[in-house]
Amino acid sequence: MLFGRKKRKPISIPAKKVKEWKYTTCNYCSTGCSIEIGLDENKKLVTSRGHAGADVNRGKLCIKGLLEHELFESPGRGTTPLIRNKHYDKFEKTSWDHALDTTAEQIKKIQNKYGRDAFAIISTGQLLTEEFYTLGKLARGCIGTNNYDGNTTLCMASAVSGYKRSFGSDGPPGCYDDFEHTHCFMAFGSNLPEQHPIIYWRLKEALEKRKFPLIVVDPRVTMLAQFADIHLPITPGTDCVLINAMMHVIINEGLQDKAYIDAHTQGFEEVKALVQDYDPKSAQHVCGIDEDKIRTVARLYAKAPAAMSIWTMGINQSTHGSDGVANINNLNLITGNIGKPGGTSLSITGQCNAMGTREWSSCSGLPGYRYLENPDDRQEIADFWGIDPEFFPKKRGLAETDIFPAIETGEIKGLWIVATNPMTSMPDTSRIRKALEKLDFLVVQDVYEDVEMNQYSHVYFPAAVWAEKQGCHTNTERRVNLIDNALEPYKESKPDFWIFNQMAKRFENGQKIHFPEKPEEAFNEMKKLSVGTNAYGNERTLDISGMSYEKIMKARGIQWPYREAAEGEEETLKGDPRLYTDGKFQTKSGKANLLPIKFFNNNEQPCKDYPFWLNSGRVVEHFHTRTRTGKIGNCNKFSPTPYMEMNPDAAIELGIEHQSYVRLTSRRGDAVVMVQLTQRVPRNMVFIPFHFHDCVNRLTLGLLDPHSRQPAFKQGSVRIDKVDQKEAAQLNVERRAF
Amino acid sequence: MNNVTITKEVDKKIETKGAVDLSVGSFDPATMSVATPEQEGRSNHWEVRTQEQDYAFLPTHEDRSEIKEKNRYGQLIDCVDLSGLPKERSMFINENPEVGTNPNRNKQHGFFFTADNCIGCHACEAACSEKNENPAHLAFRSVGYVEGGSYPDYKRMNISMACNHCDDPVCLKGCPTKAYTKHAEYGAVLQDPETCFGCGYCTWVCPYNAPQLDPVKGRVSKCNMCVDRLEVGLKPACVSACVGNALDFGVIENTPENREQCKTSIPGFPDPEITHPNIRFQQTKTLPDEMNRTDSMPVKYHKDKEGNYKPVIDQKAGKAKHWNLGKLNSRENPLVLFTLFAQAAFGTFLIPFLGALFGVEALTSFVHSDMFLPLTVISLVMTAFALLMSVTHLGKPMRFYRGFNNLRYSPMAREGFGLALLSAGCGITALFSLPMNTWVNEVSIELFSLNLVELSAGLPLSNLQLGAGIFTILAGSGGIYYMNKCYQIKARPFWHHIQTATSFLGNSLSLGAVVSGSIVVTTLILSKASSALIEQAIILFSSVFTFGLLLEAIGLIKHNKDLNKSDNEGGAAHYIQCTTFGKTYLLRNSLLGLNVLLASSLLLSTLLGFNDINTLLILWSALAVLNAITAIIGRALFYILVIPTTMPGAFFWKNKGFEQHARDIGLADNPATGVAPLAH
Repeated sequence: MLFGRKKRKPISIPAKKVKEWKYTTCNYCSTGCSIEIGLDENKKLVTSRGHAGADVNRGKLCIKGLLEHELFESPGRGTTPLIRNKHYDKFEKTSWDHALDTTAEQIKKIQNKYGRDAFAIISTGQLLTEEFYTLGKLARGCIGTNNYDGNTTLCMASAVSGYKRSFGSDGPPGCYDDFEHTHCFMAFGSNLPEQHPIIYWRLKEALEKRKFPLIVVDPRVTMLAQFADIHLPITPGTDCVLINAMMHVIINEGLQDKAYIDAHTQGFEEVKALVQDYDPKSAQHVCGIDEDKIRTVARLYAKAPAAMSIWTMGINQSTHGSDGVANINNLNLITGNIGKPGGTSLSITGQCNAMGTREWSSCSGLPGYRYLENPDDRQEIADFWGIDPEFFPKKRGLAETDIFPAIETGEIKGLWIVATNPMTSMPDTSRIRKALEKLDFLVVQDVYEDVEMNQYSHVYFPAAVWAEKQGCHTNTERRVNLIDNALEPYKESKPDFWIFNQMAKRFENGQKIHFPEKPEEAFNEMKKLSVGTNAYGNERTLDISGMSYEKIMKARGIQWPYREAAEGEEETLKGDPRLYTDGKFQTKSGKANLLPIKFFNNNEQPCKDYPFWLNSGRVVEHFHTRTRTGKIGNCNKFSPTPYMEMNPDAAIELGIEHQSYVRLTSRRGDAVVMVQLTQRVPRNMVFIPFHFHDCVNRLTLGLLDPHSRQPAFKQGSVRIDKVDQKEAAQLNVERRAF
Repeated sequence: MNNVTITKEVDKKIETKGAVDLSVGSFDPATMSVATPEQEGRSNHWEVRTQEQDYAFLPTHEDRSEIKEKNRYGQLIDCVDLSGLPKERSMFINENPEVGTNPNRNKQHGFFFTADNCIGCHACEAACSEKNENPAHLAFRSVGYVEGGSYPDYKRMNISMACNHCDDPVCLKGCPTKAYTKHAEYGAVLQDPETCFGCGYCTWVCPYNAPQLDPVKGRVSKCNMCVDRLEVGLKPACVSACVGNALDFGVIENTPENREQCKTSIPGFPDPEITHPNIRFQQTKTLPDEMNRTDSMPVKYHKDKEGNYKPVIDQKAGKAKHWNLGKLNSRENPLVLFTLFAQAAFGTFLIPFLGALFGVEALTSFVHSDMFLPLTVISLVMTAFALLMSVTHLGKPMRFYRGFNNLRYSPMAREGFGLALLSAGCGITALFSLPMNTWVNEVSIELFSLNLVELSAGLPLSNLQLGAGIFTILAGSGGIYYMNKCYQIKARPFWHHIQTATSFLGNSLSLGAVVSGSIVVTTLILSKASSALIEQAIILFSSVFTFGLLLEAIGLIKHNKDLNKSDNEGGAAHYIQCTTFGKTYLLRNSLLGLNVLLASSLLLSTLLGFNDINTLLILWSALAVLNAITAIIGRALFYILVIPTTMPGAFFWKNKGFEQHARDIGLADNPATGVAPLAH
């Protein structure tokens, strides 16, 4: 001790006293980080830590993951099933049996009266894959509604659709290891440092080892844009123009990979013809990026020995979402950057198990990327489940974003909501509210009973969360990883797996189809369904037949495809890091489709009455509608109340001050937010985080992408007005239950 | 989706079953245990993770070549060499006697922050709060930012900051309770919340906002350098958690691998000369010439000719002048009362006693009168009240006695000690005055049949009273001197000025003159003293009163002049003084100026022969009241306005403006907002 001190002061640092570490995967975003939950000798949760031996996160976690173990006992958790007659009545506590019986009766009543499709189910990307598979069985095989979709329509539908259109099948073809090999990295509307910090760290590690150019396309100066070698501050919604102009340069300068195009793609001539209309000279006036920069970037990308693109909601949440994805795929196909180390089209997914729902939930078809439209797929699944194939519809029904309009028009009378919160997450809140009021029956299944969706429900099922359950997630690089049930479900809440099983028992087909008791048995069913070939005779990429819970845990996650090792072959516990390495695609011809993407401008744009672009997005400390992170103080404190980034120069014109409240109005409604003045956004744009209830989505238009039915959250326009500060502050407090 | 073409070719079908019979060898992950060779050869202070990664381990520096002998300020890096303490001492973390296995445990360690890389993702803060189990309103590490430029040429620089475990830990020196220790192990400056009594003085002196005063628990806690992790050779939790590769940690002056710069300052970071902090930076990317803070602090940073960023005033509050009288009522009210009463008490005793000592006739007769005892008692009561106020300001008032533990370094301990001695001195003086006091003696004889005069006949009472009085004056002078010293804080330039001293002394004289003057003059009048004597007293007290006012006014003029030229946080505080509190500031200054004018005119006219005592008393009383108001406003402003040199905050977190707003509108009622309600 220095400074003449003799007496020792005690040093007390919280000691965690962990007796046992339980293996899980993070339940927030799609990065797929491995977490160990520490239990003390009384099996009480005391801490958690990133798993240092997991390839994805290598011990790192973001703020949400670091504090995730605090969510189990957070306020607002559902403790017991609730029931009421009308949405304006008071909830009463009830038993699981009564809640399930009532729900089953109501579903049958609605279906008998209005037809099977009059009852809709909207699920999520948050459940475990076994639960998705089970819900799919229940929805497609027992309840038999065709209006069954996931909230992935709000985030990943465009990526799915674009992948399918280009490659014939869904599934991101690349992996995080591509950062280690790429020579040019281009991010479209993706802000890794705030949205996927651990993926950003993997990128940063690669960059510190070996510098390669970083190009970022984003109308905001995000953290990633700031670090970019070249930042392209694009005009919202015009990515297709930029990419077409880039391809114009590449093709007209002969920089494309001719051998790859000839061998593995079809449709090049159509693309070549189309991009002639997108000369950088004219394109620059549409996309806002000058022609020199377009040429520089195009040449850089095309000449790189391996170049890769990532994208997130900047592309997906647009009326050109699916087109944008297809066009990024075009760019990578013509430069030969698919299926090679460092060359890929990697969609960075939003939810922890968006991939799981895409693969196994039957939302857009049948399990294992099977299609309702394909009679053989229907037959195969019907046989496997032991039901009549005629029970299945022959065409996919409505997407989530079409289900609400169908409630509006009266086609749909009943709804089951599983772990999603459209009251906050869907565009145009007032429209959603009105639709929900009309429902004859709404059942909400969620971890939290204070989830805003519950305002209109008749029955509420309290669900268990994350490590109170057991099962798998698939991350954005197709890695299947395990969540162990470290804890008992909270109070009377139940795992979603159990809830679906119990509901199945109440339907006729539920007696025919086997609903296993244990998640791993469901996993084994999926394994069986994952082998073989698809409709065109191509070997299934989504093959998990070599996996088991034990192997997944040993490997800290395995990427698909992963097939059983042949006899005598050593088990690597490593799946294929990349898809399409052989240039064979899941299309009829085996070739990838080059698709000419024509730009049309149907976005709501700033005008005299509504002069600002309205952009929305994520902040690092919150997840989705804040039902979890809003209650964890050490997350929530970094943005406990909604705010809006606004350019200070624009604010001066309107006389608006930093940290004051303003009222925004759009053609849909209004919202009150606090102003944060920053040059991060242009003069004609505001940015509002989407996490807050009764906020940005009261304003958004959300025109739908024609292919993916995903809403264009990020392109709309608003007006900004001053408000009485005292009243605005009061309103702000009133609108925040958490 | 809807663009699928259907074909009939399905050449290979999977085996299907009706009722599925899939036997499951059920797998219980709990039974899968993983051996941890990672812990081998390491102490047991922290469990090393399975397959722990390189980034988490401290370099061992086995060849020693990378470790410098002295840091850039000339201080030895080896704390054993520095302190002469033995090696291999246990730190007794959580009373665990095991000695850490870190080979460099006696070297001064510090954080290394690559400002170029920080993405502001809060992982460091979250890892810290998780490990230390901190509630939302507290954080040992915080990330704020400065930003500048114009879209799209915009730059935000995030700054993650915790404790810098300084060479010259002003917290350790300032803490009156000795709660801080700078250890020879890692040079860690650790604080013991169980010793702390929550005065918050360390939070005043620290330029980096490292010590955290928890208004809920009423005590301070701070970054503990994760010494438990260091003892097994792991970097602190925040560093290990860093996702931007911005935070690092190691022996000080050692530039980490892959880094090219090792400097002591970045925009927004206070002058390292104050404490010689053990943090080094890399910041190579060009930033805009001006970097702003998003929080409510009226400070921004401007690049000077040498390329260093210096704080300048950011006129966030506009230019309009306001009253904001309501805001004068703050949680620092007890300190306003504490300082004013302590100063008044000191002056009350000082003026008549010193006057008597110098042989001023009016005062000699007063000191020998029966009224001297009540005056010492009043002075005692005022000091005691002042000390009580200072105790109520503590987070843990029952631990007040710990306030004198650090007389060696802490001006606050010395201040408290001086004032405690002042009250003791008043008490002793009163005690020695008792037997000589006719009223007390009469009461004593009547009630207890004790004649105090007879009892104390053998004692040299007058000399004892004189000695006690001199002791009281010395103690009080010490107390007030260190009270001033308490505020001469480099991290608080608004206070770090002669004005603090002139105001404290000026108030001691003006307020003391009022209290003692009213007692003395009343005594003289009641004892039917000659009007010459009364006039002498009036002139003396009014002179002292006027001198006190003048002293305060001169200090204020100089303060205003200096701060108008200042660009740092002192200037910023003054800017707030002239805007947010502009009208109040003007009022106080005008009242003080008016008082100086009136008091000197009155004094002059008395000297020139105006001697209607009743009129004089009425007029002086009015000026005394005026002075009391001025003093209260002035002292309240003194506390409210100070802006410390502190790290830039974020838009919500560590933004005083938002914290205040959240409290005002009720958002803070939700603990997840992370804004603690104020305890006082």
